[in-house]
Amino acid sequence: MLMCRDLARIASDYIDGELGTSKVMSVKMHLLMCGRCRSFIGSLRASIELMSAHSSQQLDEDLVRRIDERVSESLNARNSGGTKPE
Amino acid sequence: MGTATHHPDEDILINGLKSGNQGAFREAVRLYTPGMMAVARFYLDHASAEEIVQDCWVTVIDAIQTFEGRSGLKTWLHRIVANRAKNHLRKAKREVNADFSEALDPDLAARFAPNGRWATPPSLKSNESAQALMENGALSDCLDQHLSALPETQRSALMLYEAHQHKSDDVCNILDVSASNLRVLLHRARQKIFLMVETFQETGEC
Ligand SMILES: [Zn+2]
Repeated sequence: MLMCRDLARIASDYIDGELGTSKVMSVKMHLLMCGRCRSFIGSLRASIELMSAHSSQQLDEDLVRRIDERVSESLNARNSGGTKPE
Repeated sequence: MGTATHHPDEDILINGLKSGNQGAFREAVRLYTPGMMAVARFYLDHASAEEIVQDCWVTVIDAIQTFEGRSGLKTWLHRIVANRAKNHLRKAKREVNADFSEALDPDLAARFAPNGRWATPPSLKSNESAQALMENGALSDCLDQHLSALPETQRSALMLYEAHQHKSDDVCNILDVSASNLRVLLHRARQKIFLMVETFQETGEC
């Protein structure tokens, strides 16, 4: 018998479709009978969506500026035919 | 199914990079630096990671000529960063510290009774869409705070898999972890985010 704790341990694998057929069956059986775990899976899914919506927005402007500077230095050195300053 | 995973925009960008176009580099730097930092941070501290990522971009100016487009630009860039970061680690004679032993977060584990049933069940309301939740600026700040508090290894795995939508194989390759260890890192990180959102929805506080 799959207990709630066992299900919590493999919840991500279930959500990502990484479980084998028999494991999937026993998770589904459990979810049919257990509202708490249904709520857990639903909430974990929501957290995952939240994560991907959030983290794609992060950008360190200061780092980007420093990279831009170094890249354009190198590009200029290259395009002017000079040797690259190391 | 076709094997080409990149879209026409990416081809235009790649051509720009190959011809040494400044604008193309600027666009690519904005687009790919966050993911490259996530890779570097898996292996290195913040300062070294920034250094490695900067060096990589300078390397790319020449290396892009050899890029054949089999893997997609993002994966290619991430591999370059990973290789550099691994070299750096090797020179410093250090190793990545990660705990792969337990898939259940201790704070979540504490919420089960000895018989394996929920003692403190989830209180999260999952009916709000992720988009609606994201419009709450306080939640967004709180998420930032918790993401930075995650162990680097967990955060990198989460970022690459979730935000940059790499396939598992690619993440394993880039981060040099086995498939089952990647599953542990991902699940541990997700549980932390789950716990954070739950607290936030319950109390309105981070
Ligand atoms: Zn249950």
